[in-house]
Amino acid sequence: MDSFIQEIRDSLGDNDDFFFQQEKIGRASVILMGFISLIDLTRTKEALHANMDNWKPDRDDASSMMEAIGEVREMDLSEAITMFMDGKLIVFFESERILVLAEAYPSLLNRAVESPTNENVLQGAISSFIEDIDTNIGMVRKQIVSRHVKVRSFLAGSLCHKKLSLVYDESHADSKLVAKVIKQIESSSDKEINNLQNLTKALGLSAWSSVPKFNTTELPEEVAGALIKGRVILFIDRMPFGLILPNLIWDMFSLENDRNYPLPLMIVIRLLRVVGVLTTLIAPGLYVALVAVNPEVLRIELALTIAQSREGVPYPAIVEMIFMLIILELIIEASTRLPKSIGPTITMVGGIILGQAVVTAKLVSNLLIIILAATTISNSTVVGFQNSLAIRLFKYVIVIMSAMYGVLGLLAGLVLICAYLSSLSTFGISYLNISMNKGESGNG
Amino acid sequence: MDKSLHVVLMYGLTQLGFIFFFYSGDIISSTTEGHWLAIVIGLVLNLVMVWLYMKGLGYFPKQDIISIYSAVGKWAAVLFLLPLVFFLFITNIITIRAFSEVITLVFLANTPLWAIMALIITLSGYIALNGVESIFRTGVLLAILFLPVILFTICISFQNVDFRYFFPVMDEKFSFLARPPYWHSFAAFAGSFLFLGFIQPYVAYRPKYVLMTVAALVPFYFIAVYVPLFTFGQATASTFKFPFIVLMSTIHINWLMFDRITMFLLLCLVTFTMLFISMVLWKLSQVLHRCLPKVKPSYFVIAIAAANFIGCLFITNWDEIQSLVMWNTMLRFFVMVGIPCSIWLLGIRAKRMIKDEGA
Repeated sequence: MDSFIQEIRDSLGDNDDFFFQQEKIGRASVILMGFISLIDLTRTKEALHANMDNWKPDRDDASSMMEAIGEVREMDLSEAITMFMDGKLIVFFESERILVLAEAYPSLLNRAVESPTNENVLQGAISSFIEDIDTNIGMVRKQIVSRHVKVRSFLAGSLCHKKLSLVYDESHADSKLVAKVIKQIESSSDKEINNLQNLTKALGLSAWSSVPKFNTTELPEEVAGALIKGRVILFIDRMPFGLILPNLIWDMFSLENDRNYPLPLMIVIRLLRVVGVLTTLIAPGLYVALVAVNPEVLRIELALTIAQSREGVPYPAIVEMIFMLIILELIIEASTRLPKSIGPTITMVGGIILGQAVVTAKLVSNLLIIILAATTISNSTVVGFQNSLAIRLFKYVIVIMSAMYGVLGLLAGLVLICAYLSSLSTFGISYLNISMNKGESGNG
Repeated sequence: MDKSLHVVLMYGLTQLGFIFFFYSGDIISSTTEGHWLAIVIGLVLNLVMVWLYMKGLGYFPKQDIISIYSAVGKWAAVLFLLPLVFFLFITNIITIRAFSEVITLVFLANTPLWAIMALIITLSGYIALNGVESIFRTGVLLAILFLPVILFTICISFQNVDFRYFFPVMDEKFSFLARPPYWHSFAAFAGSFLFLGFIQPYVAYRPKYVLMTVAALVPFYFIAVYVPLFTFGQATASTFKFPFIVLMSTIHINWLMFDRITMFLLLCLVTFTMLFISMVLWKLSQVLHRCLPKVKPSYFVIAIAAANFIGCLFITNWDEIQSLVMWNTMLRFFVMVGIPCSIWLLGIRAKRMIKDEGA
């Protein structure tokens, strides 16, 4: 057994945060081993001693003492290392030469449960997920108190271990879907999962889909709603959100929290989001189509007003549009990159450029600024940031097609997007499914 | 899983494009009086054929017409499927070419014809490549987006009607039966319902709903013919190639920012027609895939789309389209009447054989 200690010393001893500590617990002399960065050693030792003080043995021998400390276990080197990495304490009894695996006080490496940072909640529960996977699952269990909610945990990766948990409600979820997901995760358990692209690959989904395969949410309320609708939820350790699988088109427009409003208001709010998405897609394309290709569709008065506002603009509508759209995208990107304290500078500078200067300099028309504003505002009505990214990308397809074919191009672009969306499916469930109740996974 | 809604929408959408484009013009130029008689005869024939077709298909659950004919024998497959392939191929060429022509006429005067045809074919090909279920889902999305626009334009098309043009009521000689434009009007029916026989292995639907859709579409046939008649009168309306499109150009609404409502009707119909073309591409690829099982169906879609495009390029003017439509007439009637009847008869035969075996 000394050779085992030596092996551990060889493989982990060069870590300065790894400790070997001689200790006397009761009458036994032991060696404590673990990572000081993962274990709160002082409290752990206190607990060990307190445990021994209160210990009233039936039989006074070493083996019953070991059982009181933790789990007596034969283990090999790699297993021991996994346990160390997981924040466990290993106690080595010197005289008996036996290893005991003990639970240790973890050092606090998580933030407290806070309100969400990427999603706003009006009139709803505002606690959001944190990085710790067990806390997240606990929050879901608190949110939906049901014996049908099942949790399956997996360890993925061969070099780097990552904990994954699958949560589903067995009374609502399609058992075939659950089985498929579990099988897929198990079959790719040797793949590293460090980000969502890795996860998409590990689940055997296409990495080239512009529409995200998961609906990410920070809110336990949304996860609970999704569970009841028969979806499955994936949690990954160190990711402060739940991944709702599969992602469906209606998630773009609906929040579980909407149901806290009266029904008519909920319908109106959701319709508003639909209008938002359509405006984002259509408005820039329509401007390009009407100005550059089909001005005759407009009322003559309106056509003249537009022509007047474009007077002096030296390039075609498509260049004007793409130019301003890209500047706008840059502003959005810049304001997410910058620290919060300098962020407002960008907003201000962007506001000046877009608001007045660019029009006064006759680089773009007045109307274009209005279209841009409408597009940007309506783009933000979509639920979930990942969905708004996809819509932002799609609008360029329509702008380019409109520049080529006018209003026909606009509609052709919409057809193309519709066709693309209807070709998407996750685990055999089409992206266009509206409801996902049991047995309806074939619906589209 | 019942997907009647998808099937029904697909059927309705593909019909609408033909009704408002070609049907109204064909009927108006085929007779000078009693148009309703011409419409009713066509509709009754259509209804009977759809009913027979579905009745026949009902005897072969989960089979498409390719396997039904192949089961009977090679001769049956060649006899019925070969004309079908030709019919579908020519229909595709005519549809693409004619719609591109209308688009250039109405609002893309400076865009070359080949560019528009390429756009239509590429998009339809893309939809067809995604498979039949995806075609149906696209249909549902398009219906949600564009059907309200179509219904709106149809509602406002009544702006200038004068109901006295309904007279004279009767054409006692049935002279329209002998006129080529009347035969062409059947193009509105022929291509649309055939897909019901191809989708059985993939999508389940209830025949009842399809028949209800056929009934629900009846008003549209009358609107497409009678609203231009009521607005312009027979003498004027018969001079237009596309009476309904011209009609929409005459509508004026004060509160709308757009001057030409035609555009919206036309474009929405074009999107539905893209759906029709993609369906035809898919049907063709299925038939050819059965003949050469080694080649993937998606390669056939690409090859047929390319062949269609080349075919369209060879047509230089409207008269050539008309003569192609004329050649297609024989095939059209064969497909429209022959396939439903034969499927029905085969169905009865199959049922009897099962009964005999049972006894």
